[in-house]
Amino acid sequence: MRRKLCLGFLVGAMAALHCAILAAAFIAPYDAGAQDRDLPYAPPTRVHFRDSSGWHAPFVYRWIPDRDGYRLDTTTRYPIHFLARGESHSVLGIFRSNLRLFQVDEPARLLFLGTDSFGRDEFSRLLYGGQISLATGLLATLITVATATLIGTIAGYFGNWIDESLMAVGELFLCLPWFYFLIGARAFLPLHLSVAGTFLLLIVVIGIIGWARPARLIRGIVLSARNRNYVLAARGFGASSFYLLRRHILPETSAILLTQAALLIPQYVAAEATLSFLGLGVSEPVPSWGNMLSPLQQYTVLVSYSWLLAPAVALVITSVMYWLLADVLHHWVQSHSIN
Amino acid sequence: MMYVLQRFLRSVLLLWGLSFLCFLFTEMAPGSFFDEMRLNPQISPETIASLRTRYGLDRPLGVRYARWTIAAIHGDLGYSIAYNTPVTPLLWTRAKNTLLLTVTATFLTWLLGVPLGLLTGSARGKFADKLATPTSSFLLAVPEIVLAVGILALVVRWRFVPAGGMMSLGFEDLSPWQKIRDIAVHMLVPGLILVLGGVAVVERHVRASVLEVLNMPYIQAARGLGIGRVRLLFLHVLPVAANPAISLFGFSIAALLGGSLVVEVVTAWPGLGPLILEATLSRDLYLVIGAVLLSAVFMIAGNLIADLILVASDPRIRAGESNAA
Amino acid sequence: MKSIAHLTLVVCLLAAWGWAAAPAPAAINSSEELQKEDGEVGQYGGRLVIGQRAEPKTLNPVTATDALSREVIGRCHADLISINRVSQKTEPALAESWKTSPDGRSFTLKLRKGIRFSDGQPFDADDVVFSFTVYLDEAVGSPQRDLLVIDGKPLVVAKLDEYTVRFTLPRPYAAAERLFDGLAMLPKHLLQKPYREGNFAQTWSLNTAPSDVAGLGPFRVKQYVAGQRIVLERNPHYWKVDRENHRLPYLDELDFLFVGGEDQQVMRFEAGETDMVSRLSSENYALLRKEQSRSGWQLSDLGPSLEYNFLLFNLNPIDAGKMNEIARKQAWFRDLKFRQAVSAAVDRDSIVRLVYGARGTALWGNVGPGNKLWMNQSIPHPQRSMEAARQLLKSAGFFWNDSGQLLDSSGKPVEFTIVTSSSNTQRMKMATLIQDDLSHLGIQVHVVPLDFRAMLDRVFQSFDYEAAIMGLGGGDPDPNPEMNVWLSNGATHLWHLNETQPATDWEREIDTLMQQQMVTLDYGKRKKLYDRVQQIIAENVPFVFLATPDVLVGAKSQIGNFHPAVLDHYTLWNADQLYLRAPARGVERAGIR
Repeated sequence: MRRKLCLGFLVGAMAALHCAILAAAFIAPYDAGAQDRDLPYAPPTRVHFRDSSGWHAPFVYRWIPDRDGYRLDTTTRYPIHFLARGESHSVLGIFRSNLRLFQVDEPARLLFLGTDSFGRDEFSRLLYGGQISLATGLLATLITVATATLIGTIAGYFGNWIDESLMAVGELFLCLPWFYFLIGARAFLPLHLSVAGTFLLLIVVIGIIGWARPARLIRGIVLSARNRNYVLAARGFGASSFYLLRRHILPETSAILLTQAALLIPQYVAAEATLSFLGLGVSEPVPSWGNMLSPLQQYTVLVSYSWLLAPAVALVITSVMYWLLADVLHHWVQSHSIN
Repeated sequence: MMYVLQRFLRSVLLLWGLSFLCFLFTEMAPGSFFDEMRLNPQISPETIASLRTRYGLDRPLGVRYARWTIAAIHGDLGYSIAYNTPVTPLLWTRAKNTLLLTVTATFLTWLLGVPLGLLTGSARGKFADKLATPTSSFLLAVPEIVLAVGILALVVRWRFVPAGGMMSLGFEDLSPWQKIRDIAVHMLVPGLILVLGGVAVVERHVRASVLEVLNMPYIQAARGLGIGRVRLLFLHVLPVAANPAISLFGFSIAALLGGSLVVEVVTAWPGLGPLILEATLSRDLYLVIGAVLLSAVFMIAGNLIADLILVASDPRIRAGESNAA
Repeated sequence: MKSIAHLTLVVCLLAAWGWAAAPAPAAINSSEELQKEDGEVGQYGGRLVIGQRAEPKTLNPVTATDALSREVIGRCHADLISINRVSQKTEPALAESWKTSPDGRSFTLKLRKGIRFSDGQPFDADDVVFSFTVYLDEAVGSPQRDLLVIDGKPLVVAKLDEYTVRFTLPRPYAAAERLFDGLAMLPKHLLQKPYREGNFAQTWSLNTAPSDVAGLGPFRVKQYVAGQRIVLERNPHYWKVDRENHRLPYLDELDFLFVGGEDQQVMRFEAGETDMVSRLSSENYALLRKEQSRSGWQLSDLGPSLEYNFLLFNLNPIDAGKMNEIARKQAWFRDLKFRQAVSAAVDRDSIVRLVYGARGTALWGNVGPGNKLWMNQSIPHPQRSMEAARQLLKSAGFFWNDSGQLLDSSGKPVEFTIVTSSSNTQRMKMATLIQDDLSHLGIQVHVVPLDFRAMLDRVFQSFDYEAAIMGLGGGDPDPNPEMNVWLSNGATHLWHLNETQPATDWEREIDTLMQQQMVTLDYGKRKKLYDRVQQIIAENVPFVFLATPDVLVGAKSQIGNFHPAVLDHYTLWNADQLYLRAPARGVERAGIR
């Protein structure tokens, strides 16, 4: 019962997160690229419920630029308007609307997570950024895991020279200086890539480069599993390779597969930041957790503007959730497998 | 024996193919070492062109590759354009420093990671697992460089260990025992970053694999027979669950030279990391190719060791080799 | 903790012994003609630790091209005539005086007598002639050769006697004595053999034994530990003394630690492991300022630097086949009104505030307020005006459609790409700001970060770009080093390279003016000519000038004679006069580092 409760909680939380990210255009108070040049590196605005004159509907105060930062202008309350009109947007490119979940009146700004160096709302960018990052991370991981499973299984099952050559190709993949390849590839591509084009490119590039390691792990397991007693027995009974793989061998790899998948998702989100360095990632002003993470390499940002750690926190939370999901899936696979 | 010879042959082929692809990739990438000088209004294009000629950068790819290969067979990996010295000694001095760090970190990683994985795998849902899972998920989710800069920021605040480097000033005057301690103290921060990341990976894989094995009927049977938990874990579960761990161990060896680049750069550990980063960004071709090949040697060795252990430890694989599918 | 204290004590004792071994300044010989420095008198002793981004690549002054090598080499060698970094004027160095011929083509330099290299060997005119022979030798391939070649002809060196040298230029060259700054004088007795054998470029690599390297600078190489540090020690024969006739330098040792990028340098400085930081970003400067009262650091904002950042449009002729998109857009870029409109729409104030943390200055020309001697003060500095931008675009035949997009006269939407180096975060930020600025005009701008060398390849080689944000300048305030940027056939005439003929009338005019100022010896006349050049540039907007950062530096409180400057080397140019105030430096510095 308790386990079912925890599971329900996990599923609910993940659904909430993903829905929030999908509906970023609705939930985010501002556009991802909307700069406010008077409020760079502004701290988060806290939501207040009461002031000296008693309780009110939730409201915020305004940040006023001060000599060495900002001070709160506590003279005026700016109540939060729910389901109000704001900048027009389109949810998932389909519905056009200008309805937004939260708004405040100008000149105050509703900054749940502060602003970045251009005064752009970090919370809005986090939501919008999640769209690209999670999609990239998940799809690239899918490609990697699928490729790795395919290659690893073939290598492990058939053994001998097929195994040797596939693993050699894998080693080659792991050793090559991809940096130069990617720079060269960039030179061949058109100067400006559309968002869709960049997205596709990211998924393909990240997904394809990373198959070698998981493939090796899976190959090791398949090598061992194909000679299990029950497999040999089933083969003696005339089972086809495909049946053996599907029924007996592949489920053995599920543990490692899921572990690798969960491991790769955050790595791939961060990899997008490295690719941006080469011009292959999402470019300004489109946010992604990857490129929102790169200012964090700077010591001052880490120390002075800690609210900018939001994408790292979001990434950690998402990863932990995916780990837990992988755990649950593993348990489910185990309980449904013949063993 | 035959197997090892076969692998050796395959490795040589691999290295040869790798070197060719390296040359190809570096040729593809636009820009060259001397490009930065073009931004200096006081240097003429003729000087830049003559420098390119002097270092042979304007020769066609085939010619350059042929010359390099012939020299490489004799152990000469070319010249570094930036340092104007041969590549091999440059790599070797720094590789030693990197290995010092990574071997220590890898040793600690496996020492801590395997028991931890066994513990959390066998005690799923209990306290140890509840503590370890979010911690390792956290460590695996945070990008390495954010982790590194974060830990460094803490160190700078609290100053109980040096903020970087490998040796203190005046190192040469210390006694041997002092020298060891000095280096050990400097190794704390980069080592910590490496171990934290490594332990998380090892623990997760071992845990997943242990969970897999614990579900097997013969383990249930053994438990039913009354075999103690520790004995069960180490004698029955571990050998079977070790399969992915062995492959992972191969990766650990493979990453001995290349896996610590970010950490070395952030903490200024004088290993291959900073050298390779500089060389890659500035297109110091032969230095980069030399480093790639050196790392490839470790990768090949790592995978070979892992494969040998796999075959040795799992009789089913050995059996499988003889009745090839 | 206890073991750390124990270690500290031991290192302390040993280090104290170690420092006693630093060479003491040689006693002053009456036959030496020494230069007297007029600054504050300091005290001997101590070690200064500087953080570097990475290690230097060579100790060879002739072949070194990267800034890290030059930083170390510059402390070990001396030149004939130096440019004082604070006054920005030339002053005698190894040449104690010089005479110029009336036609400005010949310089007769009298060298200081009785001076010795750091290994004790004497210095005379033979070394000077040898040095220039090496610099001018095309087979050696020194980048500094180009400095000494005017109009395709190298300058000629002649030894007149043991301590007199004459230089003859192919034609009069304004401020020619500035050429000598930074040209290290080499020891013939050590380098003649490798030069004759033809492997000069391989000499004096980092692994060379310190006894095989010698120079006339305040320090000499003591030790190099690969990947970690390079240690310089006092040159006991250095030829400068202070006001009270104590031989300089004051410092026993100058250590360069390879600590990493600016963030690591700031972290180490904060932790007390290094003694100085140079060229800080405004964020790091603000961070250090917060702790200044507690730590007593000397932090200086030296005002605007000499570099200039700009947006440039690709005006190179392109064969429309492969890059026809770019060729089409060049019709907009070539229109002066378009460039002026972009310049009017750029929010320079925000660039200074958001990119440089208000520690910077907006620019409308290539010479900014940091260059006091040459700035044309009468160039207009128009404030940002979207109205003016719109008017300009309208009058150039552009118009807006209903959704606010800008269309050109043939109805195509105006959009272009800005490339910039991804490793330079400031220029990336400028690109984002400009993208936002121009979106208010209905122009869609895409920002493409590229690897630095990949970007250079596009700008210099393939011309496969539309617009770029780059930066130049920062060296000498004098106009002559900038010649190749503004001459139409110059190699850094970025917006239009490989011109055989000036492409426009104003470029032709600039050519004439720059050539003229190069041979005009009178400062007043040169200033007028260069003022006119700046005016033409400002009117014709080949670059949309953006901003320049301030030079921000920091040092520990104990460092005396700290006089940072806006010219390279910002903090160590007077390393020979730096000293440490607190004598108990040893105890405080030893220990974990």
